[in-house]
Amino acid sequence: MTQALLEQVINGLMMGSVYVLVALGLVLIYGVMHVVNFAHGVLFTLGGYLGHFFFTQWWDSFWMATLLSMLSVGLVGYALERGVFHPLHGNLRNQVIASLGLILAFENAVIALWGPNALQWKVATTEQLVSVGELRFSVHHLGIIVLTMAMITALGLFLKHTRFGTAIRATSQNQEAALVVGIPVRRVQWSAFALGSALAALGGCLVGPLFLVFPQMGDVPLVKGLAGILLGGMGSVPGAVVGGLILGVTESVSTLFLPTDYRDAIAFMVMVGILLLRPQGLWGQRVRGED
Amino acid sequence: MNHLRIQSLGKRYGGVVALDGVSLDIEGAGIYGLIGPNGAGKTTLFDCLAGTTEPDQGRVWLNGQEVTAWPAHRMAHLGVARTFQECRILPEETCLDNVLFAAQPQGLLANLAQIWTRRAGHRLAALDEAMRLLHLVRLQDHAHVPAAELSFGQRRLLEIVSTFMAQPDVLLLDEPASGVNPSLLQVLGDFVKTMMAERPRIMLLVEHNMAFVMDMAQDIIVMHQGQLLERGSPAQVQASAKVVEAYLG
Amino acid sequence: MGLKGLACLLVLLVLASAPWWAAQQPFLLHMLVTACVLVVPAVGLNLMLGHGGLVSLGHMGFAGIGAYVAAVLMVDARWSFAPSVLAAMLAAGAAGGLISLLCFRFRGHFFMIVTLAFGLMLHAVMNNWDSVTRGAAGFAGIPRPSPLRWGDQVWSFGPLPNFYALALGMAVLAFALQYLVVHSNFGRSLAAIRQDERLARSRGVNTLLYKTTVFAMGTALAGMGGVLQVSFLRVAAPASFTMLESINMVLIVIIGGAGSLVGPALGALLYVGLPEMLRLSNEWRLVIFGVMLVLITLFAPKGLAGLCARAWQWLIPRKTTAVAKP
Repeated sequence: MTQALLEQVINGLMMGSVYVLVALGLVLIYGVMHVVNFAHGVLFTLGGYLGHFFFTQWWDSFWMATLLSMLSVGLVGYALERGVFHPLHGNLRNQVIASLGLILAFENAVIALWGPNALQWKVATTEQLVSVGELRFSVHHLGIIVLTMAMITALGLFLKHTRFGTAIRATSQNQEAALVVGIPVRRVQWSAFALGSALAALGGCLVGPLFLVFPQMGDVPLVKGLAGILLGGMGSVPGAVVGGLILGVTESVSTLFLPTDYRDAIAFMVMVGILLLRPQGLWGQRVRGED
Repeated sequence: MNHLRIQSLGKRYGGVVALDGVSLDIEGAGIYGLIGPNGAGKTTLFDCLAGTTEPDQGRVWLNGQEVTAWPAHRMAHLGVARTFQECRILPEETCLDNVLFAAQPQGLLANLAQIWTRRAGHRLAALDEAMRLLHLVRLQDHAHVPAAELSFGQRRLLEIVSTFMAQPDVLLLDEPASGVNPSLLQVLGDFVKTMMAERPRIMLLVEHNMAFVMDMAQDIIVMHQGQLLERGSPAQVQASAKVVEAYLG
Repeated sequence: MGLKGLACLLVLLVLASAPWWAAQQPFLLHMLVTACVLVVPAVGLNLMLGHGGLVSLGHMGFAGIGAYVAAVLMVDARWSFAPSVLAAMLAAGAAGGLISLLCFRFRGHFFMIVTLAFGLMLHAVMNNWDSVTRGAAGFAGIPRPSPLRWGDQVWSFGPLPNFYALALGMAVLAFALQYLVVHSNFGRSLAAIRQDERLARSRGVNTLLYKTTVFAMGTALAGMGGVLQVSFLRVAAPASFTMLESINMVLIVIIGGAGSLVGPALGALLYVGLPEMLRLSNEWRLVIFGVMLVLITLFAPKGLAGLCARAWQWLIPRKTTAVAKP
């Protein structure tokens, strides 16, 4: 039993890490612009497809392909911020609806360009195995966990100890004050969007070799990422990390007791349940919002 | 009739104490001015009375009935109506529809039934009165214009007209004069006096415009830092050293 | 009746006579039936989103409730069509009402995300509760409504034109309901909630109750649409009630014009008609719709209905009252 539990916990940490990457991107964008980018999932998918494309067409190196994918999707994020989200600033409903339009456009463009079938992305690390006690995991599995931890640390250091990182934090706390103090708020906004998008792309590239590259690959991570930030508290980076991991581990462990088919539903039920008790999430601030 | 009693009302927002044990006894119809510096707790008091917010402690009675922490829609049914500091109207509806809406019955079951019966009796009966009120504030030509197209001052008038349309027993006007130019202010003042003369009731008037409030009100209540500072006639309050120091000085 | 009323009547006559002028092109009739099947839930979502301001991203989950309740009743319990539709609407409406009570504990983005989550949860149930819903494989064998008889006349719903009559009838019913609701005290209170909820409360509207009611109305209509769909296709499949389908529904409402009475019809017709007109693959159609949605939110937030209204205004200028000097 403990073996099975440990296995699921590690699986959960791995999936949770992917959710954390998505959640971090979402939280960066939300914190700085108060926009929930529902199109984040398709950026994840796009990242996977572009990574696969660069890997098969240009470089036979997973890292180069991933890096290129992150850069490209970061650029896409920049374009989206400038062209769609910034003009709609302040109008919550229209921003959400525009992002729904983006989901349709991107997801179907991917199908139109690459076909509806899943693509295989053969990377060596998925085949090399590592032993953890009596269990065996692929290097890729554990690599995801390690890489995400590294990413989180790097992001944390960046936000806390660099000038631009501080500018990002300032803008997310109080946009007007940041402007007054001379922070280039516009630059912070599109940078956050680009950075968040790049993180989504990283997620897609990490998951692609494991679970195939297919057009809907970003849908579930999007909703899990959203659940993660809601759970952790909107706008909170540590919240996003904890939320994503809790979600990943809970749903993996739940497969030991409940039919796997309901695994996705479990995640949402946990999220709704916790939010009913604590509407601002685990780390969130109670905002006296407008009714 | 016409008795509003407040006992030790308290409300804090995070670390800020907005109301600090306010007790008031308002008996008899009339216009009661509520003045004080920003942050004195005037709007918070209105929020608690109108049901927009729940007080943390204290009790409120209206005509002998306890209404502490009743939600806004219940207070409205009881005859308490308010305007907002930031001026709230329905921007997409015409002025006439804005006013008519205030007189519309709001019970859910009755309105669900009305979907089928299509009874428009209330609306027709209210039409004349709505137009009369719009005339009184010189907005009759804008009756069929969406409220969003009005100037700020006109919106204030619309908001106040709508508030009176509901025939409330207790009116809470929150800074009705702010943002209104002098000529419209005259119209506003005359309108309020006319309505109060037609049907006397309790009106609480929060204002920073001293000339306006001293002219309108017979009784002035001064608040400062969440507490009651002074109460009396306009002359008494203006002469009070405490008030001058805290606010008027 | 007014110019608008006459225009609607005209359109209705054209649509009602479709079996005759489209007799040589059955695929056109097929398209119209599909449009009717889509328009019924769209009217429901329009009530919630367009008139009430509630952005629900899980709408088709409730269509699924209606579809499967009716499927089980009609196939397993051998109920006839009409009572099944009523039961389906009741089930979907009740589920919507209850779920919305949970959702209303959240505001803004949170509310939308929670509706999305519930849509996904409902889909998971449809996909996995094999004993009742037959799971991912789908619930086959759903009958068309049983034939109507007068004396020795028989009207069967098997042939396409006959089913079209039913579909059109249900669509018209949905629009009639929408009209009655919007132009009523309830509708006015709903509009007030959408424009300024705090103000509505201060005018005596119990906003939580009203929002729950309109949510239930909207999901009941979704349920009606669900039954129509599965009776048409003769099969119920979870794939028809996914998150993407819910997004398509939002698209139809927004592009058509949220909050306008005819918006859902315009959106549904465009959604069904555009690929045929442009002879596009399914995917490119949706790419175009996605882009249209983005463009509409940027440049024409009132959707097609808004553009039509502007054109109408330009053709038939209404006398506007002169703006008095303040």
